[in-house]
Amino acid sequence: MTSSAPLLSARLSVDYRNKPGVLRNIVVEIHRGEIVGLVGESGSGKSTLALALLQLLQLKGAKVQGEVIFQDEDLLHKSESQLRAMRGRQMSVVLQSPLTSLNPALRVGTQLKEAWRAHVKGTKEECLSAIRTALNSVSLPDDDEFLRRRPSQLSVGQGQRVIIAMAILHRPALLIADEATSALDTITQSEILSLFARLNRDLDMAILYISHDLLSVAALCHRVAILRDGEIVECDSPDVIFDAPRHPYTQRLIAALPGACFGKTLSRPLEILS
Amino acid sequence: MSSRLKNLALIALLAFALPVRAQTGGELHFCLHGEPKTFNPVLVDDEPSENIRYLTGGVLIRLNRQTQALDPALATSWKVSRDRRTITFHLRKGIYFSDGTPFSSEDVAYTMRLLMDPETHSTTGDAFRSGEGAVQVRAPGPDIVVITFPAPIAGLERLFDQVAILSAHSPKKEMAVLGPFYVADYKAGSYVLLQKNQNYWKHDAQGHALPYIDSVRLDIQRNRDIELLRFRRGELQLINRLDAEQFDRLQQENPVVTKNAGTGLDAEELWFNQVPAAPLPEYKKAWFRTKGFRKAISMAINRADLCRIVYAGYAKPAYGPVSPSNQFWFNKSLEDPKYDPQAALRLLAQAGFRYENESLKDRAGNRVEFTVVTNSGNAAREKIATMIQQDLTQVGIKVNVVTLDFPSLIERITRTFDYDACILGLVNTDLDPNGQMNVWLSSSENHQWNPSQKAPATSWEAEIDKLMREQAAAATEKERKAKFDRVQQIAAEQQPFIYLINKDVLLAVSPSVIGAVPVVLNPPGFWNVETLRLGPAPELGVQK
Amino acid sequence: MTRRRLRVICAAVLCAIFGVGLFASTVSPYSYARQFRERPNAAPSASHLLGTDSLGRDLFARLVYGTRVSLLLAPAAALLATLIAGVFGGLAGLVGGWCEKLVLAAADLSMALPLLFVLLALRAVLPLDISPILSVIATFVLLGLLGWPSSLRVVWATTRNLRNSDFLLLARATGCGRWRMIVRHVFPNLRPVLFAQFWISIPLFVLTEATLSMLGLGVMEPLPSWGNLLRGLEDISAVSANLWRLAPLILLVLVVICFQLILPAQEETA
Repeated sequence: MTSSAPLLSARLSVDYRNKPGVLRNIVVEIHRGEIVGLVGESGSGKSTLALALLQLLQLKGAKVQGEVIFQDEDLLHKSESQLRAMRGRQMSVVLQSPLTSLNPALRVGTQLKEAWRAHVKGTKEECLSAIRTALNSVSLPDDDEFLRRRPSQLSVGQGQRVIIAMAILHRPALLIADEATSALDTITQSEILSLFARLNRDLDMAILYISHDLLSVAALCHRVAILRDGEIVECDSPDVIFDAPRHPYTQRLIAALPGACFGKTLSRPLEILS
Repeated sequence: MSSRLKNLALIALLAFALPVRAQTGGELHFCLHGEPKTFNPVLVDDEPSENIRYLTGGVLIRLNRQTQALDPALATSWKVSRDRRTITFHLRKGIYFSDGTPFSSEDVAYTMRLLMDPETHSTTGDAFRSGEGAVQVRAPGPDIVVITFPAPIAGLERLFDQVAILSAHSPKKEMAVLGPFYVADYKAGSYVLLQKNQNYWKHDAQGHALPYIDSVRLDIQRNRDIELLRFRRGELQLINRLDAEQFDRLQQENPVVTKNAGTGLDAEELWFNQVPAAPLPEYKKAWFRTKGFRKAISMAINRADLCRIVYAGYAKPAYGPVSPSNQFWFNKSLEDPKYDPQAALRLLAQAGFRYENESLKDRAGNRVEFTVVTNSGNAAREKIATMIQQDLTQVGIKVNVVTLDFPSLIERITRTFDYDACILGLVNTDLDPNGQMNVWLSSSENHQWNPSQKAPATSWEAEIDKLMREQAAAATEKERKAKFDRVQQIAAEQQPFIYLINKDVLLAVSPSVIGAVPVVLNPPGFWNVETLRLGPAPELGVQK
Repeated sequence: MTRRRLRVICAAVLCAIFGVGLFASTVSPYSYARQFRERPNAAPSASHLLGTDSLGRDLFARLVYGTRVSLLLAPAAALLATLIAGVFGGLAGLVGGWCEKLVLAAADLSMALPLLFVLLALRAVLPLDISPILSVIATFVLLGLLGWPSSLRVVWATTRNLRNSDFLLLARATGCGRWRMIVRHVFPNLRPVLFAQFWISIPLFVLTEATLSMLGLGVMEPLPSWGNLLRGLEDISAVSANLWRLAPLILLVLVVICFQLILPAQEETA
């Protein structure tokens, strides 16, 4: 699974103007085709990390220090136009709520088209076929009726799939899923999880899966990092985390799971999901 | 019964009932159109206060509003010296102020001194200020007063119509009066109540004390529509001034109450900017200075239409500075020019203008086009301007109409002189030509077409200057009249002001007011208040 | 379906009114300026469909020509005002920071500024003898230039809400450029607001124009506009006797209602 040079290697500290030390010297390493889980409770800095990796935090007036080496280049030293070319093409993101992440004024087709046109100058047909491929790979219908729908006419699960379709439109090397399943019901959640697993397998796409939900992380990820108050307290394979958590916080986290005793069974994700 | 028959019956009823039914007493009720600013007759400067002064003040000489002649009042006789500087009054004897203080020559002397004291800042007093120096007032006896002014004053005795005599001794100060009524109650913003002055000196032929009416209630009401509404309900017995539209509507409703006193003194006029320094193109200034041009414009304006359409027929064409209703001063020998666009075109041709393809061009080929400004918010003036605009297309002249708020308009016509022509009204309260002195003297600020000249710009303006000064100094009224007739003649020849119309003075008088004889002079409805009687109020609503 | 039919009817009515305005010279039997002085204040008749005004001018002709003046220029002015409000309000809402402060301060200032004095000053600067057509155009350009602040605040408030929205964040994360984001993501969300501001401005401007002529700035005599025709309604007692004089008011109300009913259709075709 791991190759010599990691896809992403970040070492980050983030300070907001009115709230310093949101992330303190975080080290994240993701290899090609790897699914890394990031677990932490609300307010621990999970979303901040996602935006920091995409270099979208600066717009909110945050100070980012350290380095983000992505595909052998430090993103912190890239120009805005270089970053723009990278976002969505090599590194894309899926946000928590499909209801607010989709532009209510735009039709599904238009949104996807916009995401495609942001990086490719091509004919209508090329665009449409790219969109159809993406929709197929997230198991959504690709007919005109569906493309003409507005976000308000989609179910939550469909909405999230559309956003994932947008994210994988350009076959990025890294997909950041920020609480991508938290707003979904259990059945949809498991569907989306299996979708991520399939995309990872089929497209050899690395995924940074950010969640507060230890169980779903355990089910999906190759490695899990535990984030607490802006610091990563532990990072290891799910087996190790579940079987022999070292940090007291991780231990408490696992003890708090409703079915703690089944932890071991659940930590074999691909068996259930394939 | 037809309404005409009804009216006849009513008139018959009034005619027979008058001696029997009309009694003394009662309250006359009408409106002031603003807050009276003062009850001190010396300080009067506004119309509501002036009305109060007329109703309460006793004067030495009263201008009869109907005959336009001077009647003796507190002075039984008077004499003006040959040099027109000194006037001697013989006063009525045995007269008391409303509070019982006796009246004597001391009171007249006191009033005149107060009036002429520069500290008083009296507008009424300003009319007497003919030259530098103090006014001397002597009271050689209790019923004789001699007043000497530093310089001659034309029409001197007439000015005393405005001087209500104050008491020198009364503890009530200016509230002690010699007129038919005194101020009994006043509520700011609401009403003024006048009660009959029991000490009023005047009696009718039968020896009855005047006035007949016991009290006058004056409501302070700015809104003319509300005034009209209350009159229709019978709450008011008099409306002193109606506009043509209101009058017309009321007339259709109830012709008995509407009274047209005849052509008033006020005029509407158009003039061209003749200021040499005006920021206008030279060729325009040349048009405006051309006598033929101004006369042609005057001829091309259909004044009869203005009267008929803008004023619903309640106005008369005006051709000169004096209204025909000013019986003495109006120059009857002047011929009314006729509305004649063809003659106007001939005049323009003589003046070097060419009329081609329905447009008028001057010698240099400039299209004749100018802008008429007037104040916004005055519907009548806006209509006049629009009608003149239409009239002048017949002689190929293009007119633009611009309405400006009053301060901007004044700024343009008195300071920047950035305008072509202007339509405004001239308010005339004075019959005497001296009242128009400030308009005709070329050095005056109100010499609108070219104000504040150092020396007269034209020979005819120089002649008017000379005539106006001469009439003011002339020994007899006849001489003055001859001079002022000549001024009117020059004005007609030169048309510096193109006079348009004189509005009729329109009133509404309830049939319950007996003896009302509306006139064109102020106050038109109640000038003879002391002889008005109140009869039973007929239901106004009946005739609707 | 009924809604759709309603829209069709409204569109037809508007087209008819615009058409009448455009072809005023053929529709109207007389010139708007011609004074039939022998019959002022006439009641409606075969020769004067809506009667005549106090100067004897044919009111139907004046209404038709006034429609041309007002209906062509009021929307143009409204467009100008909405455009200014949209661009600057959107900018302020999106960019934030000192730009936002500056734009809002400018809007507040121009709202607080006594408009009357600005207009008076303007009238003093402008020459008196501009042709009626020019004064009409100047009037509506003026309205457009002065009518933006209230719309701007609405646009700004909407944009500011958009600025923090997830979908713009996502758009940015998909590599959407700034300009493309404004055009393709922000504008479609502002469109309903802008449309509403536009429609609201039209009747407002039609009426404001009437008051402007009091200051010597509006549509000048003898050119008619809805504004100066409506000014003829000031005398209520005269109107109650001549109900047909309400025609301009009815037309204005009709146009505004039609515009409003068509509005949702615009919103959905994004």
